[in-house]
Amino acid sequence: MNMAQKENLYAITGLFDSPDAVLHAAEETEKAGYTKFDVHTPYPVHGMDRAMKLKTSKIGLFAFAFGLLGAVCAVLFISWVTIKDYPLVIGGKPFWSWPAFVPVSFEVTVLATSVLSTLAMIVLYFKFPNNAHPLHDTPYMKSISSNRFGIAVQADDPKFDEKEVTGFFKSLGSKEIAPVYFVPADQDMRPALFDPKFLGLLLVIGLTASAATYFTLNKILYLPPFDWMMVQPKLKAQQPSSFFHDGIGMRPPVEGTVARGYMPYPYKGKPEEAGKYLINPLFPTKEVLDRGQQKFLTYCSPCHGNFGRGDSRLQGQFPNPPTLLSDKVRSWPDGSIYHVITEGQNAMPSYASQVSREDRWAIIQYIRALQRAQHAHESDFK
Amino acid sequence: MTTIDYTQEPAITIGVVTSAEIDAAISAPLDRFPSRRWWIAFGIALMILSMGLASVTAILFKGLGLMGFNQPVAWAFDITNFVFWVGIGHAGTLISAILFLMRQRWRNAIARFAEAMTIFAVICAGMFVSVAHLGRVWLAGYLLPYPNQHGLWINFISPLVWDVFAVSTYFTVSLVFWYLGLVPDFATLRDRTRNKHKKLAYSILSLGWRFSNRHWSHYERMYLILAGFATPLVLSVHTIVSFDFAVSVLPGWHSTIFPPYFVAGAVFSGFAMVQNVLIGMRKFFKLEKIITLKHLENMNKVMLATGMMVGYAYAVEFFMAWYSGSQFERFVFLNRALGPYAWAYWIMVSCNVLFVQLFWFKKIRTSIPAMFAIGVLVNVGMWFERYVIIVTSLSRDFLPSSWGHFSPTIFDFGVLALGFGLFFTLVLLFVRFLPSVAIAELKGVMENAQPHYHE
Amino acid sequence: MEHIERTQIKVSPKNRLIGWGLVWLGVALCSLGYIVDAREAAFNNVLNFLFLAGIGIGALFFLALEYVTGAVWSVPIRRVNEFLAWLVPFAALLAIPILFNLDTVFAWAQKNIAASDALLRMKEPYLNRSFFILRFFGIFIVWIMFIRLLTRNSMRQDATGDQRLTKINTILSAIFMPVFALTLTIFAVDWGMSLDPHWYSTIYGIYFFSGTATASLAALTLVTAVLYERGFFPKLRRDHFYNLGALLFTFVNFWAYIAFSQFMLVWYANLPEETSWFIARWHGGWEYISIVLILVQFAVPYFVLLPQEAKMNIRTLRRMAVWLLFAHALDLYWLIMPAFSATPPLGWMEISFPILIAGVVLIVLGWQVQNLSLVPVGDPKLKRGLEFRL
Repeated sequence: MNMAQKENLYAITGLFDSPDAVLHAAEETEKAGYTKFDVHTPYPVHGMDRAMKLKTSKIGLFAFAFGLLGAVCAVLFISWVTIKDYPLVIGGKPFWSWPAFVPVSFEVTVLATSVLSTLAMIVLYFKFPNNAHPLHDTPYMKSISSNRFGIAVQADDPKFDEKEVTGFFKSLGSKEIAPVYFVPADQDMRPALFDPKFLGLLLVIGLTASAATYFTLNKILYLPPFDWMMVQPKLKAQQPSSFFHDGIGMRPPVEGTVARGYMPYPYKGKPEEAGKYLINPLFPTKEVLDRGQQKFLTYCSPCHGNFGRGDSRLQGQFPNPPTLLSDKVRSWPDGSIYHVITEGQNAMPSYASQVSREDRWAIIQYIRALQRAQHAHESDFK
Repeated sequence: MTTIDYTQEPAITIGVVTSAEIDAAISAPLDRFPSRRWWIAFGIALMILSMGLASVTAILFKGLGLMGFNQPVAWAFDITNFVFWVGIGHAGTLISAILFLMRQRWRNAIARFAEAMTIFAVICAGMFVSVAHLGRVWLAGYLLPYPNQHGLWINFISPLVWDVFAVSTYFTVSLVFWYLGLVPDFATLRDRTRNKHKKLAYSILSLGWRFSNRHWSHYERMYLILAGFATPLVLSVHTIVSFDFAVSVLPGWHSTIFPPYFVAGAVFSGFAMVQNVLIGMRKFFKLEKIITLKHLENMNKVMLATGMMVGYAYAVEFFMAWYSGSQFERFVFLNRALGPYAWAYWIMVSCNVLFVQLFWFKKIRTSIPAMFAIGVLVNVGMWFERYVIIVTSLSRDFLPSSWGHFSPTIFDFGVLALGFGLFFTLVLLFVRFLPSVAIAELKGVMENAQPHYHE
Repeated sequence: MEHIERTQIKVSPKNRLIGWGLVWLGVALCSLGYIVDAREAAFNNVLNFLFLAGIGIGALFFLALEYVTGAVWSVPIRRVNEFLAWLVPFAALLAIPILFNLDTVFAWAQKNIAASDALLRMKEPYLNRSFFILRFFGIFIVWIMFIRLLTRNSMRQDATGDQRLTKINTILSAIFMPVFALTLTIFAVDWGMSLDPHWYSTIYGIYFFSGTATASLAALTLVTAVLYERGFFPKLRRDHFYNLGALLFTFVNFWAYIAFSQFMLVWYANLPEETSWFIARWHGGWEYISIVLILVQFAVPYFVLLPQEAKMNIRTLRRMAVWLLFAHALDLYWLIMPAFSATPPLGWMEISFPILIAGVVLIVLGWQVQNLSLVPVGDPKLKRGLEFRL
């Protein structure tokens, strides 16, 4: 054996024929003080961990942590989606419907822990993939992967001495003891991550994936049959249509169409009945009067003036209405005033489209307040 | 009465089987060119698959109307097949994960195959919901929550979305679990093969596994954890599938017992399918010493147990429908037994409740032709169970004016063929290219495989 | 084959005194309860009856499960299940006062209720006093018959070591399983679900089973752990206890799964005839019990029993067993008491019945351990069971 090979020694290996033999051998190896050694078996042998004094695997902690991570992320994400970003009322349920979140959260938890723990184990614990290990392709490994059991004591163990280890294995009953060497060619292969061929492969995959995605989403989806629902014979808003004589797709409502919530005014053209039958449903509370005041100032004051005297700034430019504080108007029932606002009178147009029905009644209450102010009683000042 | 000696551990194999024999027996089919029988079987499977693909292509071009859907029966063969195949998948995980957790060593010979069947069954199930009944299949990505310009998210409250997560998680985790079990076997194959290309492939797939005990220690822990997670996962997947029906208000669908009932039914039909396929496989590959009559008998016992659970669910649902006093609930069950689909109902009851009771008798449990026949009947019965649940409840619900009838078209049957064709094609490919028995796991439970304790 | 010694325990006079003392104190308090407020006493009676009967028949279920699956690890402790199973006939005795007070507990049992309630009229062929009492006796006769058959064969095997008795018990157990499923469901529907006779849920029987099985398992674990710590099971190992811990963990998860399924489906469909039951358990103080139940029956046991080491630790298992027994009592309280009152009741009557059943359990277990070997010495699987390793 020449010096170059001696420096290239990885380990001395010994094969055993039965699980009992290798278990005993492992115990003795550990007792002898070797630390950099490993046992190889075609299947897990019970009790080997204890024989090698291996600590219990901590992979369970990884699994727990990943599972917790998955659970928390899933719940937070679903909550954010259903409460903040895209809240929809589904089946009358509240946005925070935790019973409905459970199935997806559970699945994501299991997915996260299974995939991530396995990856962590393979990459971090095993440091796989690694097909360049010195034990690969040796007769030792070929025996192990079939039906033999073995121990390998590494050359870089502090207590390593080739003759000693060989003798030690012989004393334990091993019949096949062989050295294993590093293969120089394999050693040059690290680190594989920055190998130009590998990077080239990544680049090719990236380009192919991008091209495929681009073509699929921007070109192929516009080809038949995938585009069949993009062009539909139904009429969309603002589209022309040859079906109608004027070529316009959008049609006005048919004669007699009634708006939703529309209720006809029963006293159209009948001021006396309006005065007789309409009753103000609102009471002169502070809210009503405030509202009446606000609406009066908005809609009525341009012509009638701020206090109903008919002295608005339109004086001269536009015929002024008579004062609302006259005895005549004071004697009018509320319904008559309502009728005037609804239908208009003389130069005054109908305000029905600007002032809602309730607001009209509020305005009337306010007018009554203005009238009362003009003809106040002694008792009003108390 | 045949005498069993309870003081002895029951034998897992017939006679002593050594590790070298296991290696030889299981890698043999992979080393040699497939036999004529394999080619014939593969040809038949491909033919059925192509019928299915032809149907699906027609449906893609012409629309879902080619199948028999209508209002009110908007779900029929598609969802029946989906639930059927997801159910078949569950047997694999049960054998693989749950029997592992229960330390039933006899499971080792059949776990790999069962797990592979799970993955293929889930692929078939996925075909049904994402290809055969989606309509605009190319928009299937909409089912996933990705950020988009519409500002839309999927509806997490809907059980159909839960299905997406459940089935894809089930597929991924089963794949990871199956692959983890395959890694040591790929290493064994890598070291046995003389073919350069196969060696490269096995080296990559085995990740460089060296059988080091320092690795086995983590590996075993991870396997246990995965099995521990796969168990609630498998329960959750079919539970979520049952939620598709149970969250509705439809009588016959809205029933709190659906989750455990569906899970029991899934295991029931899954075991029947696994048993059937294993009977064929052990004969073709001469694995009778490893996959023994005891394995098949145990599977038949599981079928008997789960079949009785399904029968229990039928009885409880029937009683509660009467007990509820609701005329709609009561009508559903009368309609099932006596209405236009009564023929399907009675097939279901006789196959699932009656014929499987024959497994009380040891003679039938251990007779291969008899158990094969009962297995087929169970699968038929379980397919019809889903058909009965879906179609009878939809075709006749609250208002008689909404009642309708469903008749399958040739395309429905074509899509049914897709499932079976795809499944058997994948199974045949699997036995051709991958070790169908877990080599390392099986070696570990042979006689004299483990050291004797000196206490 | 090494000979395994019969282990028979002598119960000290002190323990016997405690047992009988509790029984007589319990009888006195419960009778007083019936005099003071028959309705509250009857409801507490139902709760404790279900607790005791459930643990007993659950123990028989696990016994049968061991035979049917061919399990070996539980053979050394199988006798504990046999002892617990004999609680069933005594639980039946406990039910007798309720049979005389059916109309205070069950709305459907009131005279002439059918005249005013159309829905109860439709259920009358099932929910009537005679059929109810008939079912009660029928179920208990069947249960006691199976208990007697299975335990008698086991006892005989101690003397003869005949392997055929194992085979017979296996067949009996296989027959028992479907019988158990149906009878337990009827039992649960009768005594639990019909308390709210307008409500129904197809999963109720399974829900009741999940809680009962967890409690039986907890009782098995508790008795085994206590006896082990007193030195009566010298050959048991952490491996055996791990299996008990793993089973407890499994059933805790199973309960949560069934409970959640029932709740979520009722919540989702939102049908008033189904939600009423849960709404009753979300008002008047019951909402706190509901939340505590989830914590006590699922969240805490889940995280405590999750690590592998915890499942093997005998002290942890003993404490969790006690915890889970209380949790099951809370579960039954949550199932039954809302039919009694809109607010959770807590008074001396709620304690008097547990005192009685504590005494009954001590007396029955004491009687059993004196007559039978603690370890089934004649069982052919015993040696394999003692050698069991994970």
